[in-house]
Amino acid sequence: MTTYILRRILQTLAVIAILSYICFSLMTLMPGDPVELMISANPRITQEDVARLRSFYGLDQPTYIRYYHWASEILSGDLGYSRTYRVPVSEMLAPALKATFVLSVVSLIFSLCIAIPLGIYCALKPNTKFDYIVNLFNFAGISIPSFWLGIVLIIIFSVYLNWLPAGGYQTTGIVYDNIFHEILDKSKFLILPVVSLAVQRIGFFSRFSRSSMLEAMRNDFIRTARAKGMSENTVVWRHGFRNALIPLITITAISISSVFSGALITETLFAYPGVGRLIYTSIMSNDFNVAMIAFIISIAMVLIMNLVADLLYGVADPRISYK
Amino acid sequence: MKYLSLVLATITLGFAACTKKDATQTPQASAESAQTVTSGKLTNNELKIGISQEFENFNPLISSMAATSYMLRMTNRTLTVINADGQWIPQLAKSIPTLENGEAKVVKIGGKEKITANWEILENASWGDGKPVICDDFVTAIKIASSPNVGIGEKEVYTQVEKIEIDPKNPKKCKFIYEKVKWDFYQLGTFFPVPKHLEEAIFKKFSSQKEGYEKNSLYTKDPTNVGLYNGPYLISEIQLGDHVTFVPNPKFYGEQAKIKKIIVKLIPNTGTLEANLRSGTIDLISSLGLALDQAVTFEQKVKSENLNYEVLFQPSTVYEHIDLNLSNPLLKDVKVRKALHYAINKDELVNALFFGKQQPAIHNITPKDPWFTDDPNKVTIYKYNKREAERLLDEAGWKLGSDGVRTKDGKRLSFTIMTTAGNKTRELVQVYLQGQWKQIGIEVNIKNEPARNFFGETTKKRAFDSMALFAWVSSPENTPKSTFSSKNIPTAKNGWSGQNYMGWSNPQVDKILEQLDSELKHEKRVELVHQILKFYTDEVPVLPLYYRSDIAVIPKQLKNYRLTGHQFPETNDVEKWNLE
Repeated sequence: MTTYILRRILQTLAVIAILSYICFSLMTLMPGDPVELMISANPRITQEDVARLRSFYGLDQPTYIRYYHWASEILSGDLGYSRTYRVPVSEMLAPALKATFVLSVVSLIFSLCIAIPLGIYCALKPNTKFDYIVNLFNFAGISIPSFWLGIVLIIIFSVYLNWLPAGGYQTTGIVYDNIFHEILDKSKFLILPVVSLAVQRIGFFSRFSRSSMLEAMRNDFIRTARAKGMSENTVVWRHGFRNALIPLITITAISISSVFSGALITETLFAYPGVGRLIYTSIMSNDFNVAMIAFIISIAMVLIMNLVADLLYGVADPRISYK
Repeated sequence: MKYLSLVLATITLGFAACTKKDATQTPQASAESAQTVTSGKLTNNELKIGISQEFENFNPLISSMAATSYMLRMTNRTLTVINADGQWIPQLAKSIPTLENGEAKVVKIGGKEKITANWEILENASWGDGKPVICDDFVTAIKIASSPNVGIGEKEVYTQVEKIEIDPKNPKKCKFIYEKVKWDFYQLGTFFPVPKHLEEAIFKKFSSQKEGYEKNSLYTKDPTNVGLYNGPYLISEIQLGDHVTFVPNPKFYGEQAKIKKIIVKLIPNTGTLEANLRSGTIDLISSLGLALDQAVTFEQKVKSENLNYEVLFQPSTVYEHIDLNLSNPLLKDVKVRKALHYAINKDELVNALFFGKQQPAIHNITPKDPWFTDDPNKVTIYKYNKREAERLLDEAGWKLGSDGVRTKDGKRLSFTIMTTAGNKTRELVQVYLQGQWKQIGIEVNIKNEPARNFFGETTKKRAFDSMALFAWVSSPENTPKSTFSSKNIPTAKNGWSGQNYMGWSNPQVDKILEQLDSELKHEKRVELVHQILKFYTDEVPVLPLYYRSDIAVIPKQLKNYRLTGHQFPETNDVEKWNLE
């Protein structure tokens, strides 16, 4: 088991190194650079300024040399300096990652808490009225574009009812008396983006759990368990649900891997200062240092969560071994 | 399962109830919501401004984003600035030195002609920590900006001043010795002082490291340090990517700010700015907010629903135009270019698409600029004239074909117009122009690209076939050298530098541009600019379309808020804003 984990970690590091170079090279292929953006914003920038800045930022160097400089800095523990925001990358990324993590985790937990029980219930009572109604809502949830849903939620709950704020992640300028006060204030700002994100996920997870559970409940061992006189709870949860878990672990692991990647549309719509918007802005402005760190976090999360999922398969199904 | 659903529903309702309770029970939150549900209840306690553009670190030496400049005018002031009427006025300086008042002189130093100017900083001008603003703060700014290890955008702003001689008796009086004779020596609206008592030691410590100063400056490490700011407001809180909170600076030299707290909030989606305004999340949409079509729609709602807002439109120095690629064989003929110009009904265009909220353009200089002229004796005016356009094309040998498109020597009179994809306004303008040109037998195809590609590759390398539709952001009395001089035609040889994307080459214009740089008399400068404009409008290297307007939505009760229409935004007068 330990050897397996170590081998996978080494593979992960190698994949990160290769993918980081590919991402870096792809970014250099994009037209324009931060200096171009400065020119378009400031008519007084001279040709000398352009040449000086390109050389200063190393934009006149070949890709592999720029990558080498960047990688050396990262390995020495310096995440670099954001050319767009003019602050060290760590200062820029840390609060954005935290905000995105909160939004993504709350929305994921909220979706799973609703979707899995719904999916299982529908699987246990297939083709009933309840199943049809849930299916209808699931398909609607999957089909509704999140930007449209977000705008509708803002119009209803912020503009007309004035119950919830239209955007942001906390009351601006507020000083919190205690942690409870902070949680309550921030929750108010989380409701609309969480609902906007969760509606699609609930539909997706619910459909997925329904089909996994339905398949598990059709197995011969379920019939055998019932024939042996086991209680319905034992049959469903110990035999049915456990076997339905493997596909659910896979999809949950994939979802968790994106908790640091952000949700660009939702974050932009609700003016939520998360990492999705930050990555988008960095890519659009060729802010290599920020974009690359964000890429690496995303890649690492995907690889790590895949490893975690592989390990959990063994827990869910003892037949799977890592010897 | 029923129980589970019930539990979930209870949790959700309980959560919502707690949230609502919080909004009503927390003193700050309740005060805020009470204030902001409608703009009619606003007081001078707080004003929340919405912007849709990202902002960066507030170090005035290295910041370059428009949103940062917008907020910097609230916290940092310069020796001079352009006011809302378009006039240069002193700000930190007691007065503006001129050749006429004898405070500026042309002198010979080391056999080279230079200009010197005596500046005196206001006696009560001080940093937020009470330390006076002195000439040494400008010396420090120059030192930092001149360092090869600091990434300053427009370096010449600082390096134009070669030396500062400080009066030994008065640290607020000094003589600026400029690198060369230039007429705009007093235009120091982006020459920010930095507090020597705070920043010099940091610069000395990190000046040998690349970007060492930027990373360690107090503007980065301690941006709420009051000593960094000398304007009417101080920064009390900053969260990049979200908001900045400003409070009045009690040490400000001028009129004390009336609004006790200003929060500038980033709402990146312009589509939700209106919802944020109407729900009270923000009280005002700044000039960095709505697009013109959104503003026009909102203005109609304001009228029909009797909302307590005012939508402001102010003609600006942003010039929307079409660069013609003069390397295109069909566009080499000035008659074709003139015909294209005559065929555009600009009055109808601005009325149909912008409800008359933007002005038709006649050349690159906007009406806000002292250099502007619309005198037909000085510039050629192209009033919409379809017949004249057709006559010119006939004269150039382009005959109307059976398919409605003109041809000559087997070639069709066909062009491609390019712009930034996704810009709704520009796409509408393209379609409108396409229709107008079709009427005189010119075929125009539309080919748009993402802004990044359009500006990063296509215009930069003059890779557009014939027409590129975009805007130049200018400022009053800005010499058009970068866009008009033939030295600034981008080529592979010069590394694609320069912004003369048309490829316009006129030796007389080049000569006048050189003269303009060193002409010290205003009247003579205006004359030179008008000569350039004559060539520009006669030779039609560019099709002027319209001057864009600055837009803002303000609560009706807000007084003394004036859009400026140039690069020094309305926040330059933020201390005068009053909600009561």
